Amino acid sequence: MSSLGERLPAAADSLAIAGELGRRRTRRPRSEQALIRGILAGSEADLEALFHRYWPRAYRAAFLIVHDHAAAEDIAQEAFLAAIRRLDRFDRGRRFGPWLSAIVANRAIDWVRARAARREAAGDGVGDAASCPEVPTGRYSQEVLTALASLSPEHRAVIVLRYLLEYSPGEIARALDLPRGTVNSRLRRGLDALEPRLKGMDLP
Amino acid sequence: MRTGARHKLREFRAPDEVGAEGRAWTVVRTAYLDREPAPARRLRPRLAALTPALAVIAAVLVLSPAGARVGQIITHALGVRHAAPALSSLPSEGRVLVSGPGGTWMAAADGSTRRLGAWSQASWSPHGLYVAVAAGNRLAAVDPRGDIQWAITRPRVSDPRWYSPSGYRVAYLSGATLRVIAGDGTGDRLLATHVAYVAPAWRTGAALGPYELAYVTNRHQVVVRDADTARVLWTASLRTRPLQVMWSGDGRRLVVVTAHQVRTFAADGALVATLHVAASDAALSPDGRSLALVLNRDQVVVDGRRLFAGAGVRAVSWSPDGRWLLVDWPAADQWVFVRAAGAPRVAAVSRIAQQFSARGAFPQLEGWCCAARGPAG
Repeated sequence: MSSLGERLPAAADSLAIAGELGRRRTRRPRSEQALIRGILAGSEADLEALFHRYWPRAYRAAFLIVHDHAAAEDIAQEAFLAAIRRLDRFDRGRRFGPWLSAIVANRAIDWVRARAARREAAGDGVGDAASCPEVPTGRYSQEVLTALASLSPEHRAVIVLRYLLEYSPGEIARALDLPRGTVNSRLRRGLDALEPRLKGMDLP
Repeated sequence: MRTGARHKLREFRAPDEVGAEGRAWTVVRTAYLDREPAPARRLRPRLAALTPALAVIAAVLVLSPAGARVGQIITHALGVRHAAPALSSLPSEGRVLVSGPGGTWMAAADGSTRRLGAWSQASWSPHGLYVAVAAGNRLAAVDPRGDIQWAITRPRVSDPRWYSPSGYRVAYLSGATLRVIAGDGTGDRLLATHVAYVAPAWRTGAALGPYELAYVTNRHQVVVRDADTARVLWTASLRTRPLQVMWSGDGRRLVVVTAHQVRTFAADGALVATLHVAASDAALSPDGRSLALVLNRDQVVVDGRRLFAGAGVRAVSWSPDGRWLLVDWPAADQWVFVRAAGAPRVAAVSRIAQQFSARGAFPQLEGWCCAARGPAG
């Protein structure tokens, strides 16, 4: 953009995020309970292991509900921060994943509702999922995203928790504080709505 | 169908997963390491550490005879007489940036003005080659012609500030959060939450950092944090809400303005000095040696000298060479240029609102930056 001294930085010179990713994934897998014990005892390595174990699914879940990658990043990040802050009160008889996902899903639903309210107030179409500029990758990503855009955020959340994160209807009911019957009906209606949109796709 | 949905969802990949993971890990790790912050240091004023310039500032409380004389000479109530009806030139090199209901404008040294767009806030990049602008939910970088170089959408964007001297980072507020983005519009990320609506301030460093940023929380705390590692370097709690934070040009002092005090901290967080004055605006000279204060909204004081007095003055900005002060005076619909170096001299321009705003409201002074350079300027 400029040939003078004040050049804008290249993307590679962007925020310092490299290096962290290379150090992980070489550690021996530990149980979730062991990681939580370690975190509570002050182990940064255990926090790192737990974070990287659950981050991809938390981020994808948030993205599938909000359809905005920056918002999804914030939501997943804030969910992790909230989870870490409350870890000493976490019931270790439960699984960490559904607990974290509940935080992600609830925040994502709130965000979509708030965006809808803002859009009504502003009268514009900012953030329309169909015009999302960030193109997701993966074999079926764009199709899935388009199909999910037809669902309400509540239905999206239940579908994502069930079929992306593979939680049982009972776990989803507890996570979202819903009656199990409501979870089942949302799953059914959500799948009914998705079926015609995903029907024509080839599956292996 | 259920098998198909499950399969497709498993295959799903969101955009920039690796980048998002790296950024989030940095923040989560920092929050974890900071989860039990050490008790705040008890900061005691170390008056012996006052720099000569700041010691002079203390003389504000009792104006020097010379300063008083200058103040008497330049005292106005309803605007400077014989003010020019329109801006024909600036008394010093550089360009002035303003924002208001009529958008963001740039005034050049020859008096020409250019509208950069319908932005509500703006700030210069370190060398004046670009301007970071914000309006509503949009943050952008534009060149001095107003052409957008990059833009992003975030909720309630405000107060963008470029890192100096390289411009490799831009900090900004989005609602009550503080975010940082690289100077080319990439790598946007959250740095802090629960942030007050006070413009953040970069500590001047080397071209590639460290990128140290001062900001204010909604609990009246001043925080200095490394923007890339998110590590908190030091904090200071104040009883009253900080209105403004600014680093000196050499990065050795952080000045914090509250409604009743002006506090100066060393780079390590030690309190250096406290002035008990009601300052509504402050500006450090480009060399960091002089502090201009707007006191009681009716006078401008620099290093113990009252340079200008007029009911309703709002803000001040230094010229790039540090010889002139631009006083923003909405009550008189004037800009007043006051020479801060050498013999007192005043030049004023009236009808400012009309020149920069289609709706007649007085624009906000955003900065007086360096002279135009090269093709972009």
